[in-house]
Amino acid sequence: MIRVTSLTKEYRDGDRVIKPLDRVEFSCKKGEFVLITGRSGSGKTTFLNILGGLTRPSSGTVMVDGRNLYAVSDAEQAAMRSATVGFVFQFPGLLSPLTALENVVLPAALQGHGADMIGRGFDLLTRVGLEKKAGSMPSTLSGGELKRTAIARALINNPRLILADEPTADLDAETEREVMELFREVNTAGTTMIMVTHNTELASNASRVMRMERGTLAERSG
Amino acid sequence: MIRLILKNIIYRPIRNGALILSFAFIAASLFSGNYLTTGAADSISEEISQLGADLIVVPEQYSAEGEAVLLRGEPSTFFFDRKVLDDVEHVNGVVLAAPQIYIATLPADCCSDLVQLIAIDPSRDFTIAPWLKESRKQPIGKDEIIVGSQIVGDVGATRYFYGHAFTIAGTLKHTGTGVDRTVFLRAEDARVMAAESAITAYEPVTLPDGGISVILVKVAHPADVADIARNIAEQVPGTKVITPDSLVSQVAGRLSSITRLLAMAAIIATLVTLPLIALISVMTMQERVREIGILRALGATRAKIFGLIFGETVLVAAIGGCIGIAISTVLLILFQEYIAFTVGIPLSVPTGGSLLLSAASAVILTTAIGGIAAILPAIKAAGMDISEAIRSGDL
Repeated sequence: MIRVTSLTKEYRDGDRVIKPLDRVEFSCKKGEFVLITGRSGSGKTTFLNILGGLTRPSSGTVMVDGRNLYAVSDAEQAAMRSATVGFVFQFPGLLSPLTALENVVLPAALQGHGADMIGRGFDLLTRVGLEKKAGSMPSTLSGGELKRTAIARALINNPRLILADEPTADLDAETEREVMELFREVNTAGTTMIMVTHNTELASNASRVMRMERGTLAERSG
Repeated sequence: MIRLILKNIIYRPIRNGALILSFAFIAASLFSGNYLTTGAADSISEEISQLGADLIVVPEQYSAEGEAVLLRGEPSTFFFDRKVLDDVEHVNGVVLAAPQIYIATLPADCCSDLVQLIAIDPSRDFTIAPWLKESRKQPIGKDEIIVGSQIVGDVGATRYFYGHAFTIAGTLKHTGTGVDRTVFLRAEDARVMAAESAITAYEPVTLPDGGISVILVKVAHPADVADIARNIAEQVPGTKVITPDSLVSQVAGRLSSITRLLAMAAIIATLVTLPLIALISVMTMQERVREIGILRALGATRAKIFGLIFGETVLVAAIGGCIGIAISTVLLILFQEYIAFTVGIPLSVPTGGSLLLSAASAVILTTAIGGIAAILPAIKAAGMDISEAIRSGDL
């Protein structure tokens, strides 16, 4: 499903050239649950952002379903992000002026079919146990509720790939368990999961575990 | 998209409220200038069409008073010799000439201010007569008066001028000009009233024998009205000819200072608000960097982000423009008489078409100003690196 070849990301900080990613090779099959661990600043988030089309690599290619993600127009890339990928960020990232349900439906609304997805949005909120909070504003939701709403939003367009960046950071043990359970459910249903975390204890949830270190990615047993 | 724009506007009520007020002020300034000019022009057109005259001949030394009666209904009493009527009638191109006598009243029971009485000769009149023929189907009778729209009293009511009783026979429609504060009566009744006034009024009025105040002239069409006006002035000494154009240009002159002031207010408001609006848009955009990053990550194209930021400011500008026009329309209508009196111009509510045109152009201009202010922030927002945007700022 994803094939990454010789992926490098570098930027300048004064006279220094910093390389968060250095000739990374990676591939992932449909339905896999890949966990990428590594210390803070090891390049995990940069890698995930490049996989999702959020930041352009300095060199290398990212093929998603046989298409080079960085050789298409902005509109095509946006459409691919919307249809193929569901993002779960470290922070919930809900829009404050919108209700929980409106936030969930937002990715579909951006493609012009938000009204058709209200029912699915409500179903997803029910699936994450928040059906009673559908009309609530983000400011009134707890941390766990915000995170679960963000996961429901990532699923609205029925994506083939979920990219999750430290989705359990700042969560208590109980909420962390709930979120991981939800991810396993989604993965079992056929959605490919790539999750980066510094928490190695979550490795048991994944089918494959990799470690990012100084800009390179190495396979570990899962 | 529109829903998101609306939600964002509602979510930041104080900031957007301030922006809406700024745009409302710009729109109100633009609209008011247009409203006054159009209202005054419409008012004069209505008066001219009601009088039915192409030219008005007044005694040269009383031309200012004549214009004041026509434009503002400032009562005056002045005369010239009736012989002038024959001279005017003989000028080439003149088809009809109707004399009128202007008499300023004492304060009357119908109105707190003085009233202008205009005595007409029913056999020659072509100003009130057609209206009477159309609305009343009979000529003005003995001791009957036709009153302007601002003269209080229903048809059939009795009004006293110089102690003489008159019956209201009809009310003219509103013009916003001096005609609204005018009472029309027959010349022979005016002479009886003047004769009686020595006994019945504490301040009598004297009408010189054969004296008339103005002559309303209809010219042969097609003809150059300006040429005939020049001929009258040359061939009939001691007269001044008032043309509709001269009335309009006099009003334009009076309005120029106020329209200049309003235009300056609009320009200053724009110059002050444009950078302010741009600054607020930039501030809003900077506060919403992460939101923009999230939207991009969720599938929004650069064009959509541009549309979101641009659309918000444009919508705020349009809302402000509409509010500004609504408020200024209400204020202009409420204070119409006061403005007309203070500036010394005839003023009526512009016709539906010109009112709509003025309102639409003010809204379009205000919205364009909003659009100009929002372009750079919108371009900047659309061009952001998504991951950097997500990393920075708050939601």
